Amino acid sequence: MNSCRPLSGSLATLVLTSVLGPTDLEARDIHYGAVDHPDVIACDRLYWRGETQESTVCYERLLRSRAPLSVKAEAAWALNDLKTANGIFQQVLREQPDDVVSRTRWGDLYAASHNYGEAMNIYREALSTDSSYAFARLGAARVLVGSFDDAANQYLEPLLTGSDVAGGARTGAWLLVARLALENGDRDKALAALEEAEGFLTTNDWPLLEIYALRASADLLNNDSDSPWTARSLKYNPSFGGIYSIPAHFYVIMRRYRDAIDLYQQAIDIEPGLASAHEDMGVNLLRDNQFSRARRHLEIAHDKDPFSPKAVNTLRLLDSLENFRLVDDPAVPGKAGELPITLRLHKEEAAVLASYAIKLTRESIAEFTERYDFELREPVVIEMYPDHEDFAVRTSGMPGLGILGATFGYVVAMDSPSGRSPEEFQWGTTLWHEMAHVFTLEATDHLVPRWFSEGISVFEEWRSGPNRGVRIPISVYLAIKEGRMLPVAELDQGFVRPSYESQVIVSYMQAGLVCQFIDQKFGVEKLTALLYKFADGLKTLDAVEATFGITADEFDREFRKFVESEHGHILDNLDQWHRTQLTMMQRFDASEWNGAIDAAEQMLDVFPNYTEPDSPYLVMASAYEKLGEQESAMATLETFEARGGYEPDALMRLANWMYGQGRIAESIDVMQSVIMVDPLDQDVHGKLGDMLLESGDAAEALREFEVALALEPHDKATAYYRLAQAYYQTGKTDQARDTLFLALDVAPGFRPAQRLLLELTRSDTDIH
Amino acid sequence: MKIVSAIWPVCLAILPALALAELHVVIIEGLEGESRYGEQFREQVAAIDIAARTLTDNDRIRVFRSNDAGRDNVLRYFESLSATLGEDDQLAVFLIGHGSFDDHEYKFNIPGPDLTGEDLLNILNNMPNSNQLLVNTSSASGATADMLQQEGRMLILATRSGVERHATRFGVYFASGLSDPAADVDKNRIITALEAFNYAERRVEDFFERRGSLATEHPRMEGDQTGRFSLVRLGLAPTVSDDEKLSDLVADRNALNARIDELRLSRERMSTDDYQARFLEAMLDLARVEEAIEEREREVGLDE
Repeated sequence: MNSCRPLSGSLATLVLTSVLGPTDLEARDIHYGAVDHPDVIACDRLYWRGETQESTVCYERLLRSRAPLSVKAEAAWALNDLKTANGIFQQVLREQPDDVVSRTRWGDLYAASHNYGEAMNIYREALSTDSSYAFARLGAARVLVGSFDDAANQYLEPLLTGSDVAGGARTGAWLLVARLALENGDRDKALAALEEAEGFLTTNDWPLLEIYALRASADLLNNDSDSPWTARSLKYNPSFGGIYSIPAHFYVIMRRYRDAIDLYQQAIDIEPGLASAHEDMGVNLLRDNQFSRARRHLEIAHDKDPFSPKAVNTLRLLDSLENFRLVDDPAVPGKAGELPITLRLHKEEAAVLASYAIKLTRESIAEFTERYDFELREPVVIEMYPDHEDFAVRTSGMPGLGILGATFGYVVAMDSPSGRSPEEFQWGTTLWHEMAHVFTLEATDHLVPRWFSEGISVFEEWRSGPNRGVRIPISVYLAIKEGRMLPVAELDQGFVRPSYESQVIVSYMQAGLVCQFIDQKFGVEKLTALLYKFADGLKTLDAVEATFGITADEFDREFRKFVESEHGHILDNLDQWHRTQLTMMQRFDASEWNGAIDAAEQMLDVFPNYTEPDSPYLVMASAYEKLGEQESAMATLETFEARGGYEPDALMRLANWMYGQGRIAESIDVMQSVIMVDPLDQDVHGKLGDMLLESGDAAEALREFEVALALEPHDKATAYYRLAQAYYQTGKTDQARDTLFLALDVAPGFRPAQRLLLELTRSDTDIH
Repeated sequence: MKIVSAIWPVCLAILPALALAELHVVIIEGLEGESRYGEQFREQVAAIDIAARTLTDNDRIRVFRSNDAGRDNVLRYFESLSATLGEDDQLAVFLIGHGSFDDHEYKFNIPGPDLTGEDLLNILNNMPNSNQLLVNTSSASGATADMLQQEGRMLILATRSGVERHATRFGVYFASGLSDPAADVDKNRIITALEAFNYAERRVEDFFERRGSLATEHPRMEGDQTGRFSLVRLGLAPTVSDDEKLSDLVADRNALNARIDELRLSRERMSTDDYQARFLEAMLDLARVEEAIEEREREVGLDE
């Protein structure tokens, strides 16, 4: 399979220097005075008005003229001849290394070419020459705005509050603040920032296009789709595609992908050369399962902006999909009452995963349809990627994403179990989580806030998922203890704009706990009621009050009490828990089995639900085994499993012990939960199939044996024999005979297969 | 996703040549290093020992535990064995432990002076027989491959070269395969060196693949007779009987096995359907004879 990797910084530089010449005139950001040469401004004003041909002539004239080199660099850039622009900037800075204006514009060129690392280096160089140069600060702030450590703020804050800041740079800073505020859902803050920005622009006759676009975005996020700012923008510049593509970006953040697609199309209709709109259109069409249209737009985007790694990565991903297979259920469309499900699985693992994925998806649909009172209206598409970077590109257009699954509506993309070790990834739980998103998104036309959709998904993992149990990482408890939970009205920020690295996982768990709190205190019907308040367009503050009859502040107070009562004992004893964990491991390593058990028990008194791969349950069970106390080891693992433990080797030991005691049905249940974590172990499928046959469930046994065979087992004779048994017991005698042939072809001396052949033949003879 | 192990067509119903020669087994347990390896090594030694006892007498099995596996002790033993071993006998030597390679010399870690690759070469070369199997599950064991290769000699090594220096998993899987019916691919109730190697090699591959890690060991096998070198019998040994009816049935079975072998050899000259039909017909005949044999064994009391 092709792996998708981004263009590295150095490679992007090479690409920058190898572009052969100007292409179509591209969208170049309004610089608000970072460039002050009147000849450049004159050409720019034509461009900003949408007078494309006139501006092209103007820039070309500048490029041919005897204007200063820095002017020519701007002209080349405006003509999309980035190689020439880069070369000219380099020449300027060789001759005048202290020219911070040109150096900053050079950094802006790199940023516009998606080479953010290099851009940042250049901004730092400019600031080392002139630490107060505002446009360099602005460039750095724009690059850093996605980081956790608040680095952007150190550049942004002085621009907003400093006394001697260039008006254009301050304006750019307020526009950045407005964008961030809109991403955080803070409309009031965004509008206030736009007010700050507008004054300078109006006074100095700069175009208000970005203001119009952000105001239109604010209106759209307020469900006002007929914004007057759109008309104003089109009047000023009828071909400014940003009036649609900028609001579309906010729709994407809110997961309103189809609305975003419509806006991107409108952007492209008026500005066909807008590469970013084509690119984002392509990425979002993929989220809506429209692959052919997506490819067309991505190819256009790549043609117009060959530096963008997102288009390249996504196109490579599309190429790699030839290695995937589509599995439809039902196989024959139109079967009454069954919502169609389509799986997109890698061809090497489709035969292994398909039946489990379909079964689990159907179970989730049944569960959530009833619970959330919503019938899905469209087929569901589930995609699993063995290569995590392919999944990351599928989701965001870029590798390096830290999540395991993503839902775009009726399309779910996730890692395949083959892409991660069983210790770190429970594929069944992830699929369950994502299917809950399908419901919360579609039931509310994607109006559900991120926190609540995640909260329900996490809650459903704990409550109804294939490996049930409340699992909260220690790091989250530490964050709760440090007072890092957010008020419910601000919980979205923990996902969209995290301020510290683990805030996303903390927000996930907090959201899950909020849903658990609602379920326990107010009842499950209130959980559903809250969901539909969001469907009505209410924001969190109003939705909470309307659903529960209390203010959000009171809700937060009650929630904190709930957390304290449910988890206070853990929170109060975390330090001691850690120390005891160290003691337990030291004793275990020293073969002090009873001592290790004592320590494990102390840990479990504090935190009985801790079932991660380093759980004290596992140490305790191993210690009991060393002492020869199998019964105690079994009891320990049974508790571990009941509380959501999923470590496959431990669960297989438990299943084998249960089988040895004749507890077949329980053993089967445990092995089926192992498959929800590790479906790729052929031994598990073989053993499970044997048990299912023994318990009379030949149909399920048949599925297990088919999967075992798809895993290309080492012992083929046994795999074929088992399959033949299941075929025979399900009445498929012809298939049984054909499969027995395969078994005996490998091993003619295989007595069980010989006996089955005889039995099959005799029963055929009896019938006939 | 998974690499299919080659399934050698050894299931031609010709049993490995074990009845014609005596099998001598030497198992050497090396130094454990860390206690967790000590437990693993002990379990592997025990598994190999139990396996050997299904094929040969106890007095032809010598186990050197890590506390008595000194170099002089070991060399002395092999010297005395060389005086008693017959030319047609089989010798299986198992090294269970850690190895090292400094780009010049391989060493198997035992108390006191280590056993070197040169020691192993001398041990094996000084034996009067040629039917030799060396199984070395230690790290860096692949460093000895070139120097030890010889006509008739079989090598099973946990690593492909001396560069692979991490503690290996191969030994764990090799030993466990000796009691796992899944390793007996042709289901003749004998696990050969080839079958044990293939089983363990597959397990090693799966281990690294399931964890998404680069493999730090690549098992290696040399010699073309590993499919005829038995390591363990699963189940009971066939009993000898002077019952005439039973003897006739066994003769029928042998004839049927020969017929099946012939059929399989001429497979390419038939259509798939024709081959399948004739094969299944022969298998049915064989199954009936096997059933009759089992019934006769019960009648004459040989099934206990």
